[in-house]
Amino acid sequence: MADRSALTRRGLFRGIGSATVVASCTRTHPGTATNTPSTDAALSPGEIGPSPSRLSFELNGKAVQVDVEPRTTLLDALRVDLDTTGTKKVCDRGACSACTVLVDGVQRNSCMMLAHDVEGRTVTTVEGLADDGHLTVLQRKFVEHDALQCGFCTSGMLMSCSALLQRTAGRGSALSKEEVQDAIKGNLCRCGTYPHVIAAVLDASKERA
Amino acid sequence: MAKTEIKVGFGDQVKAVSVELPKGEAKPWDADAQLEVVGKPIPRRDGALKVSGRAKYTYDVNLPGMLYAAVVRSPLPAAKVVSVDTSAAEKIAGVKAVVQVAEKGDAVLFAGQDVAAVVAERPEQAWQAARAVKVEYEQRRFVTRLAFAATPDAPLVHRGAVEERRTEGHVTEGGGGDAQGNKRPLRPMKKGDVSKGLKGATVHEAVYETQVQTHSALETHGIVARWDDDEHLTVWASTQSIFSVRDELAEVFDLKPTNVRVHTDYLGGGFGAKFGASAPGSRLGTIAARLAKQTGAPVKLMCDRHEEQVCTGNRPDSIQTVKVAGKGTALTAIEVQSIGTAGIGTGAGVGRNAFAVYTKCPNILVDSSDVFTNAGPGTAMRAPGHPQGAFAFELALDELATKLGVDPIELRLANDEHPVRLWQFEEGAKRFDWKAKRAESKRLREGKARIRRGCGVAASIWGDFGRPKAAVVTCSVLRDGSVEIRNGVQDIGTGIPTVLAQIGAEVFTRPLDTIIVRYGDSELGSSVGSGGSQTTSSVTPAVRNACEDAKEKFIEHVAELLGAKPADVSWANDGTLSAGGASITFAQACKKIPGESITATADRPATYGNHPMPFLGAPMPQIAGVQFAEVEVDTWTGVVRAKHVLAMHDCGRVMNRLTCTSQVNGGVILGTSYALMEQRVMDHDVGRMLNPNLESYKICGAADTPEIEVVLTDVYTGANNTGAAGIGEPSTIPTAAALACAVFDALGEPVRRLPMTPSRVLAALGAVPAPKGLG
Repeated sequence: MADRSALTRRGLFRGIGSATVVASCTRTHPGTATNTPSTDAALSPGEIGPSPSRLSFELNGKAVQVDVEPRTTLLDALRVDLDTTGTKKVCDRGACSACTVLVDGVQRNSCMMLAHDVEGRTVTTVEGLADDGHLTVLQRKFVEHDALQCGFCTSGMLMSCSALLQRTAGRGSALSKEEVQDAIKGNLCRCGTYPHVIAAVLDASKERA
Repeated sequence: MAKTEIKVGFGDQVKAVSVELPKGEAKPWDADAQLEVVGKPIPRRDGALKVSGRAKYTYDVNLPGMLYAAVVRSPLPAAKVVSVDTSAAEKIAGVKAVVQVAEKGDAVLFAGQDVAAVVAERPEQAWQAARAVKVEYEQRRFVTRLAFAATPDAPLVHRGAVEERRTEGHVTEGGGGDAQGNKRPLRPMKKGDVSKGLKGATVHEAVYETQVQTHSALETHGIVARWDDDEHLTVWASTQSIFSVRDELAEVFDLKPTNVRVHTDYLGGGFGAKFGASAPGSRLGTIAARLAKQTGAPVKLMCDRHEEQVCTGNRPDSIQTVKVAGKGTALTAIEVQSIGTAGIGTGAGVGRNAFAVYTKCPNILVDSSDVFTNAGPGTAMRAPGHPQGAFAFELALDELATKLGVDPIELRLANDEHPVRLWQFEEGAKRFDWKAKRAESKRLREGKARIRRGCGVAASIWGDFGRPKAAVVTCSVLRDGSVEIRNGVQDIGTGIPTVLAQIGAEVFTRPLDTIIVRYGDSELGSSVGSGGSQTTSSVTPAVRNACEDAKEKFIEHVAELLGAKPADVSWANDGTLSAGGASITFAQACKKIPGESITATADRPATYGNHPMPFLGAPMPQIAGVQFAEVEVDTWTGVVRAKHVLAMHDCGRVMNRLTCTSQVNGGVILGTSYALMEQRVMDHDVGRMLNPNLESYKICGAADTPEIEVVLTDVYTGANNTGAAGIGEPSTIPTAAALACAVFDALGEPVRRLPMTPSRVLAALGAVPAPKGLG
């Protein structure tokens, strides 16, 4: 589960004035500050920013290291710094789920997390679903059922739906329509793909059962 | 000129007609055509790229050395720019340039207007710098409330002449007269004499209101601009019209259009708001190219969600006074007086539903006006004018039907003349079990049940706006045995490349995976914008002509190889080509192509038919559609749930039943969202949008979506060689109207304002006082 003491963007804005935040953030994962290229003055041990500092995590099965500012969201770090652009930016404030990724296997809005929150953790994006280029059953069913039109919500839909399939994996029976609907309640689509998304996920769950 | 006989019609109503085909035109696929690939439910070919995150949209383009731009926007709805101080912004780390877009003394007309722009190494730096630009304004009086804006006391929004923005692919209703204050009449649609039709008839009159809806495409407007040298500009644009982007940038920067290259490999939705290099309320394309020129680096400028909501277009609102009269089942008069605001822009007409669907009515007047307000400009949105017009008129029609004591379908059947729509009404009523459902809703209504059910029906009208000579397509048979189709069209999300491949596969009887489609690039031959539901109808006939021409040349090549005449070459389904006892496989014949390929280029002639019925007397077919809707209403809470929509649609010959069904689903869901959820909320005291986001601007989610049943009624129009017509817009026109009629059936009281929120439902029931309207 997510580390509740980690900095989140929402908590950060709620908790303290943003000027203070930009000046100095305390990282909750100790032991990485030594690698930072930061030259910021008057930092206590474990503090980072405002310049970029080193962030290490596992992205789609590979260890990555990148220097990012404390204010950079996980979404921007993925898209801007790591060119992992399958994860989409749509609302940038946690309302649409287009930027959903799995952090330690749990789906999160990457726009609502700061990049440094994933220090040492495992992140899976849509690019990480396929195994060595082989599409998953869910991905194939999305294509077969035309569960995508413009495709901009599709990455987020897939992350929510594959999390659903994963957390119900042991069950051995097919999912119900209501379960799928619940799983994608937060995933907004403007082209109107919901009926085909639901059909695709149900079909994938049948194949599993 | 020689005439060709073809079979046109639909269902069992098929007849032979003679058409004069333009020179070089392939014989249309008519009712007798037996097609193997076209029409089949084939998954879109870029599906694998989209589900694996590998499809690169404009937003995803990361070029080496690329900078990020952000725009400073006015927070005020009406003001004069007094000063712009960029000094603090320029000092921020990573900032490369800060430019003024509005100069001292310039007028600001809405909250969200471009004032300045910044460009920096990273997006965070650009946003920080944008916030650091200090702008001093002199505030002016403003108006954002529609009804007040139409009065003589309202401040004038525009002080000079207003240039009408025309969106490619949309037939606007046009300006009809001089502005009076903020009010500018549109050309009225008129026939007969309404006052005559009112005499001795049963009359219903009421006022209907619709809200401002925003397009809310998931990919925001944006562009990446790179100057290759002083004369050559390359851009990646999130656009539904590659060639209007090219032409606009060429004009602004005084370049040859051919020196501007536009890429749109993948597009995250448009819905009418993404034409041209910029957005309706922001010159973002020009700004990005200017900053790229100034910094000598590629520049990416994407709107954020707030900007997307306030300055990239919207569907205008409306206040419509509808008068409708009838005797028995005959409509005798229809009159619609409407005002609406497209903010600082134009285009608040209410479409053609009231004027052109129930054409047996002899006396009709539809009179609408644009009213300017200090808000972001409206622009074409999926069937501009029509959903709002359909809502008001179809609900009024049901209210009249109640007064006349006739069934809503009976009234529609008696006054509509489109044979396909009549068939859709009748077939749909059976399939939907209309009579039994209406009886059940009556039982619940009369029993004053808490949870009511209701059913409604509404019509769609659209034209086949397929454009002649707009799409130039090249087809090449390559030495490796593949067939390549090239055209610069963009895919807005409908799956057009898949349909183009199907045309190629059909003509050449080759496997789909051997057909290569290159698109989304202005270097690949001119094409149409995806507006007016015209892409498929404009491009597929040109593709077919190019493929047929290339095939003819290929057969000549084969004939030469086999030492036969081209007319003697027979083409088997497995690709074997034979003549006079000799044969060769398709692959072998391709290997022997002299040079690299056998190539043909073709376009599409003007539409040459209008079966089964013309669109408003024009030489093009009218596209028919009917939707049935069922709702459940909780009379205690006022919550309306859309339960079921049966969507019966004509889009000519269906090209791909799978992607076409997806589009219809999308039309119904957008219409459901419009009917029940979406609304731009303005703070009229400060002139700003209060919900410029996606959490308080509500769009339909999976749980709000009704069960949707799509019935595609193929119609063979003989109007172009593939028979394709549009579906994107027609499929969203009647949804809100049908839902409103269903709510009326459930409650016995009409809800005459969209969205049909709980408070409005409860007000209709008399349970709470009526909330304030747009006035």
